[in-house]
Amino acid sequence: MPTVSTVNLTAPLLLLLLWATHPTMATNWLSLARLPRSRPVSGAAPCARLRGLTPGQVGVCRARGEVMESVRKAAEMVIEECQHQFRNRRWNCSTTPRGINVFGRVMNQGTSTIDMMSHKKLIKCIDPCLYSTPDKKFCVCHVPVVVPGTREAAFVHALSSAAVAVAVTRACTRGELERCGCDRKVRGVSPEGFQWSGCSDNLSYGVAFSQTFVDEPERAKGLSAGRPLMNLHNNEAGRKAILHNMQVECKCHGVSGSCELRTCWKVMPPFRRVGAVLKERFDGATEVRLTRIGSRTALLPRDPQVKPPAARDLVYLAPSPDFCHLDPDNGIPGTAGRRCNGTSRLAPDGCELVCCGPGFRAGRAEVVQRCSCKFSWCCSVRCQQCKNTVTIHTCRV
Amino acid sequence: MAGAIIENMSTKRLILFGFFILVCQVFSILVGALIAPSPTSAIRYLATKCINRYRTHAWLMPWGLTRCQQIRSFDEPMAKTLDANDIVFAVHLPLPNHEMSPWFQYMLAVLQFDIAFKMINQIEDDVTITIDARLAYRDNVLSEWTTQFDSVEQRPLRCTLGVPKTYENEGRFYQCDPVPFLELGSVAHKYFLINMRLPVNDTVNIGIGEIKDIHVVGIHQNGGFTKVWMSMKTVFSSWMLVATAWYWHRVSLMTRPPVLLEKVILALGVSMTFLNVPVQWLSLGFEWTWILLFEDAQQGVFYSVLFCFWIIFCGEHLMDQSQRNRLSAYWWQVGLVLFGSCILLIFDLIERGGHLHNPFYNVWASEFGTKVLITFIIVAGISSCLYFFSLCCMVFCVFRTIGGKMQQLPTMPAARRLRYKGIIFRFKFLMLVSLACAAMTVIFFILNQVSEGHCYWGDYTLQVHSAFLTGIYGMWNLYVFAIIFLYAPSHKHSRNKSADSQHTDLTEKPECQETQLTCGEHGPTEAYRITGKVAEE
Repeated sequence: MPTVSTVNLTAPLLLLLLWATHPTMATNWLSLARLPRSRPVSGAAPCARLRGLTPGQVGVCRARGEVMESVRKAAEMVIEECQHQFRNRRWNCSTTPRGINVFGRVMNQGTSTIDMMSHKKLIKCIDPCLYSTPDKKFCVCHVPVVVPGTREAAFVHALSSAAVAVAVTRACTRGELERCGCDRKVRGVSPEGFQWSGCSDNLSYGVAFSQTFVDEPERAKGLSAGRPLMNLHNNEAGRKAILHNMQVECKCHGVSGSCELRTCWKVMPPFRRVGAVLKERFDGATEVRLTRIGSRTALLPRDPQVKPPAARDLVYLAPSPDFCHLDPDNGIPGTAGRRCNGTSRLAPDGCELVCCGPGFRAGRAEVVQRCSCKFSWCCSVRCQQCKNTVTIHTCRV
Repeated sequence: MAGAIIENMSTKRLILFGFFILVCQVFSILVGALIAPSPTSAIRYLATKCINRYRTHAWLMPWGLTRCQQIRSFDEPMAKTLDANDIVFAVHLPLPNHEMSPWFQYMLAVLQFDIAFKMINQIEDDVTITIDARLAYRDNVLSEWTTQFDSVEQRPLRCTLGVPKTYENEGRFYQCDPVPFLELGSVAHKYFLINMRLPVNDTVNIGIGEIKDIHVVGIHQNGGFTKVWMSMKTVFSSWMLVATAWYWHRVSLMTRPPVLLEKVILALGVSMTFLNVPVQWLSLGFEWTWILLFEDAQQGVFYSVLFCFWIIFCGEHLMDQSQRNRLSAYWWQVGLVLFGSCILLIFDLIERGGHLHNPFYNVWASEFGTKVLITFIIVAGISSCLYFFSLCCMVFCVFRTIGGKMQQLPTMPAARRLRYKGIIFRFKFLMLVSLACAAMTVIFFILNQVSEGHCYWGDYTLQVHSAFLTGIYGMWNLYVFAIIFLYAPSHKHSRNKSADSQHTDLTEKPECQETQLTCGEHGPTEAYRITGKVAEE
C-alpha cells in the first residue's frame, strides 16, 4: 500500500473527518449479523427497534418482513467473506477498532472475528454506538470499520449488496419466502402463470430486493452528492458480479434420452467466488470525482487518461489512508499486534508486507493443536491433540 | 401405378398447392414461437437439512406449519452433536402457494451437490454416492403424506476442482456433474415431498467429501406447451385420418389391385395418424406412467415406415428389369430398418420401462447397464449408416437410369416420352421435397442446440425451442399429406384421351404382369405395344 504523507492531506482528511462523523452510514444494517438468533427481525414492532436501519429500510422491513431473516444471514456472510478475502492485508476488515492497551486481552476465536472491547475513551466508533456492554462502559461496533469513500468502503458496499441478493435467492429456493420468482402475473392469476409457463428465476427477485433494500439509504440522500452516487455504483457492481458469473447446466431428455428436448438452468456462483471477483475489482478500482455535466452530475475518473469505469468496476472518491498507525478518530486500528507469516518473505501475508515501520518481532509459544484429524461426513471430526512449539510473529506498534 | 395426381396437375395448381402447404407450415411455426411458452421449465430447490434424531419413518416437511427441526449449515454448533444418519434432506416439490398439475406430463429431478474442498477430506476417484430416497404425495394441504416410492440408489460422483489443491483454496467448491435422480412418468398429484438420506457406515458413502448442500432441480413440461401441443396433435390427427381414408378410397376405386407403392403410401398415412393420436388426453384423467414410452414407440413406428417408404419409392422408380412390386425385393433394407428399430425399442424399454416400476431407477448408474446400452446405441448407429448407404446407392442408380432415359427422350414416340417425363418429374419432386425436409430438420436441430431458448424481437418474445418442435412436427405432417394427396391415383384419365399412355403402369414390369395390370383399364393394345417396345430395349 502506498504510504501517504500527512502534509498534503490536511484538507481531504478534514473532509474525511466530516464524512466520518456523519451520523448514519449506509452499511449500518450489517450490524444485524450480531443479533442473537432467537431475536426476531420481522414484524412491525421489532423492525422499529432494529438499530442500524435507516427509516426507509425500516419501511421495507415492515412491508416485507419475512425477508429480513435473509438480510441477517447476508450480514453474517459479508463479514465472514470480507475477513477471508483481506486476511493478509493491512486492512483486514475487522469489525472493531482496537485500542493500544488491549493487546493482552486478545481473544482469538479461530480464524473468525477478532472481537475485542474498545475502551471508549481511546477509540470512537465511526458509527453511533450500536451496541454497548451492559455496564455502558465499552462500545462494540459490529460493522466492518471502513473509512468512507475509500476503496475499502467500495468493496464492503459491493459485497453487501451481492450478499443480500444471494441470501434472498437462497431463501427463495428453500421455500421460506411466500413470493419469489413467481410474483410475475402471467395470463391472469399467479398459479395459472406457473402452470402455463413456469416461474422466472429466483435470482431476479433477490437482485430486485437488494436494489430496494441496500440502495435505499443512498437514494434518500439524493443523487447529486458524491458518496451516494459512488455507493450506488458500487452496489450495482456487486450485483453484476453475481450475474456475470452464473453458470449454465443442461440436461437432455428427449426420445431415448436424445437431445431433442434439452432443458438448461442457471446456477448461482458460490459466495466465495463472488468475493474473489470483487477482490479483483478492488485491486483495479478507479479513483473518480464528482463532475457536473450540463445539469447532471456524474462520477468521472480523476485522471483524464483513464477510461471511464464500467458498470462492473468499483469506484472510490478518496485515497485510502496508510493503515499502519492507530488512528482512533478515523477508526483505523493499525497493524500493531497483527499476526504475520515470518517464514516467507514474498507471501502476501508475509511480515514485510503486513507490518510497516518498526517491523515485527518474533516470539515463541507452546500451543496445543489438532493433528491427524479423521473426518467423516457430515459432522464428526476425530482429532488428536499435539503439543507444538511454534514461532509467532507479530507486528510491532 | 396409374397416373398420380401430381402428373395431371397443371403447374399453376401445383404452385397454389405448394403455397397452401407453406402457409400451413409458417402457421405451425408461429404457433410454437408466439403462443406456446418454452417447452420445459427447470426449478431449483435447495434441500433443507432436517434433523431426524430418532430415525422415525415420518415424512419431514422443509417449510410451512409442520416444518421439521432443521439446521442451516453443518458449521453450526448444533450440527456437531449429530450423526450423519440423523440428517434428512427434505424438498417439497412445488414452491409454496403453487401446485403441480397433470398438464406437466412428467417430472424429472436432478441433484447438484455443493461439496467444499478440504485437504483432509477430499473426494476420492471413482466414488459412488448412496442415497436412500423416498417420494410421497398428497392432494390436499391438510391431509397426510402417502408414500409413493422408496429406494436405495447408487450414483457415480464426478467432480473436479478448478483451483490447485492447497490450503489456500480450502472452502472452494468442486464442480460436480448433475446426478440424475428421478423420472416420474406422470404428475397425477398436487404436492410431492422428497426425503433423502445419505447413510454412512464403514463401507457406504466414504470419500464423498464435505457436502455442504444438495440442490434438486425439478424439470417438467410447461402446461401451456402441453395444451398447444395437444391441440396441434388433435387437429393433425383428424386431418391425417381423413386424408388417409380418402386416399385408400381412391385406390380402391381403381379396378386393378393396388401396387406396392400405393400400399406403402397408405402405411405412411396410417403411421402418421398413429403418431398423431393424442394419447396425452388420457394422462389428464388417469395416472398412467407408460404414456412416455408409448410416445417414443409412436415416433419409432413413424420413422421406420418413413425409411421403408423412401427405399421402396426409390426401388420402384429404378426402372430396371428385375422383379419389383413385391416387398421381398427389398428384404435386406427393410430388414435393416426393422432390426434398428427393434434395437432402439429394447433400449427404450430398458430405460423408460425401468422407470415405470421405480422412478429412481437409473440404468446408466451401473457399469454393466452402461455397457449394454452403449452397445445397443452402436448397433443402431451401424444399421442406420448401412441403411443410408444403401439409400444413397439406390438414389444414385435411379439418377443414372434417369440420365440414360433422358438422353433417349427425343427419340421416343410422344406417348412414351410423356410417360417417362411423368416418372422422372414424380421422382425428382419427391426427392427434392424429402431432401428439403430432412435438411431443415437437421439444420433446425443444430440451431436449437446452440441457441438460447428464446429471443426478443420488438415487443414479442419468440420461443425458439417451441417453434422448432412445432415447426418440425407440422413439417412432417404436411410432407405426408402432400405425398398422400399428390401421389393418389388420378381419375382424370377417364375423361382424357390424350393421356392414354398414362394408363399403363409407369414402372417397368415383365410383360405378364403388365398385361394383368393394364388390362382392366382400356384394353391392352396401346399398352402392349409400348411395353413390348420397352422390353426390346
